[in-house]
Amino acid sequence: MLGRTTLSAVERKDRRFAIFAATPAGLTIAALFLYPLVYAFVLSLYELNDKRPEATRVVGLANYVRLLGDDAFLASLARTGVFCLFTVFGGVAFAVGMGVLLNQRFRGRAVARVLLLVPWAVPPVVNGIMWKLIFDGTYGVANSILMTLGIVDRPVQWLAVPDLTLGVLIFAEVWKLTPFLALMTIASLQSIPANIYRAASIDGAGSWQRFWRMTLPNLRGTIMFLLIVQSMWSIKVFDSIYVLTGGSGGPAGATTTVNFLAYLTTFSYLDRGYGASMSIAIMVIVILVAAFWVLLLGRRDKETRR
Amino acid sequence: MNDTAGPRRRVDVGRVAHRVAVALLVVYLVVPFLWMVVYSVYPSENLRSSPMSFAPTDLTLAKYGELFGDSGFVRSMTNSVVVGVATTVICMLLGSLAAYSISRFRFRGSQTLLLAMMTVQAIPAIVLAVPLFVLMRDFGLYDSLTGLVLTYAAFILPLVIWMMVSFFDSIPVNLERAARIDGCSHLGVLRRVVIPLSGPGFAATAIFAFITAWSDFFLAKILTGPNAETLPVRTAAFQGLFATDYTAAATAGVITALPVLALALVAQRWIVQGITEGAVKG
Repeated sequence: MLGRTTLSAVERKDRRFAIFAATPAGLTIAALFLYPLVYAFVLSLYELNDKRPEATRVVGLANYVRLLGDDAFLASLARTGVFCLFTVFGGVAFAVGMGVLLNQRFRGRAVARVLLLVPWAVPPVVNGIMWKLIFDGTYGVANSILMTLGIVDRPVQWLAVPDLTLGVLIFAEVWKLTPFLALMTIASLQSIPANIYRAASIDGAGSWQRFWRMTLPNLRGTIMFLLIVQSMWSIKVFDSIYVLTGGSGGPAGATTTVNFLAYLTTFSYLDRGYGASMSIAIMVIVILVAAFWVLLLGRRDKETRR
Repeated sequence: MNDTAGPRRRVDVGRVAHRVAVALLVVYLVVPFLWMVVYSVYPSENLRSSPMSFAPTDLTLAKYGELFGDSGFVRSMTNSVVVGVATTVICMLLGSLAAYSISRFRFRGSQTLLLAMMTVQAIPAIVLAVPLFVLMRDFGLYDSLTGLVLTYAAFILPLVIWMMVSFFDSIPVNLERAARIDGCSHLGVLRRVVIPLSGPGFAATAIFAFITAWSDFFLAKILTGPNAETLPVRTAAFQGLFATDYTAAATAGVITALPVLALALVAQRWIVQGITEGAVKG
């Protein structure tokens, strides 16, 4: 069959197949992802509040200008910053720690590694329910343990005190998300050739030195990847806030991150146009953060290679 | 990373510390979930008494029975299963076709397309929430399983394509050439040669797709009402009952988590292999 057709005919056939094969997926993504994205951008140029539908009008970029002077938005940004500080830096450091811990040889290593999949597989809503049970102010086991140990003498109202609620949220998110990052760390650790460690320890390098001088530099690419992934997850966190705070982002707005504020603006205050501009701003922030990590760690990578 | 290097000392403090750390880690990973399971099998009164009472005679599956007898809850379970399976099938079908096309034919713009697949991961679902809602309403797909499946497919396809391209790239093309010369069509090559060869990667990707669809709360909350409501939406509503009924919340949580948890543990080999081969590069 191939022998008689000319090369260009085969190529043309290949091209036709390539386009045919990519079309269904492309159409689905275009219709339900790209079109809504454009729609959202157009929406962000409108003043459109479902509480006052008669006042709908085009306002251009005014919604974006409004964002810059909106204290609630700026406060939620700061809150997201704090949340990310803990979940991204703390989370990735913790993930690398877990990865290194589970990369050593010991009996039961395979089982311990598989257990890293448990938090990953627990749906975010269930994760929220789980920690709400544990940190319940009246009957939660966290209080029982702390009181038995004599650390506190009265039940702590974990989910009624603003800072503590944010703390519980951070704890819950780290539990859910970092073990998967640890698995990725292990995958990358295994690609570091073992004999460079052997050589180093013959040269008298201690395990601490080997970690800083060899393991970490070899993990640079992976750590960049983890920072990007975790930053995206952290900025987009929603489900556990919803469940832990009963859909309020409280107490007193303490867990209202930008993403949650965009949700409240759109679906509680029904300020659709403004909510759309806020969501687009979040999208831009996510992309900027990812680009920041790539530039920062990507450039250093080149320097070390030189 | 290497107590292979160097001889073992008699009482190795580091070794003991390591084992203790591993034990603590295992407890940390598993106990919170197990605690919820414990909550689901005791009456609320036992958990509210001080100290809590865990008498084996009080063990009960009554709440599970109650939830399985609740037609609304059962409908949300069926919905979740249908949506999860349908989304996975569509994603794997359309995704592997598209990935094969990107991986093998390198048509103009295929690299840009691949980059776009990664960029869309950065887009928060909240951006698309209102437009999707309007779109679904206009097409009469609001609160329907079809609407939810289509939406999930669009959200999950980019990741599926991204993963499948990296698996397909690692398969040598020579085998396909041979099959082509033997008269196999492109589709035949994909079905008989490429997908079987990328087996573990294919399985891992399918599991990712299923778990993502099953676990979603946000889109389901916005795009469904009482008819097409999925398990996470139903379960999230239980947090409002906390003051009165702990056991119901814990039980709904366990029911929502158990299928995906079991799936992840059964398929752990593929998932870990998938991560090792595909996700992390560099």
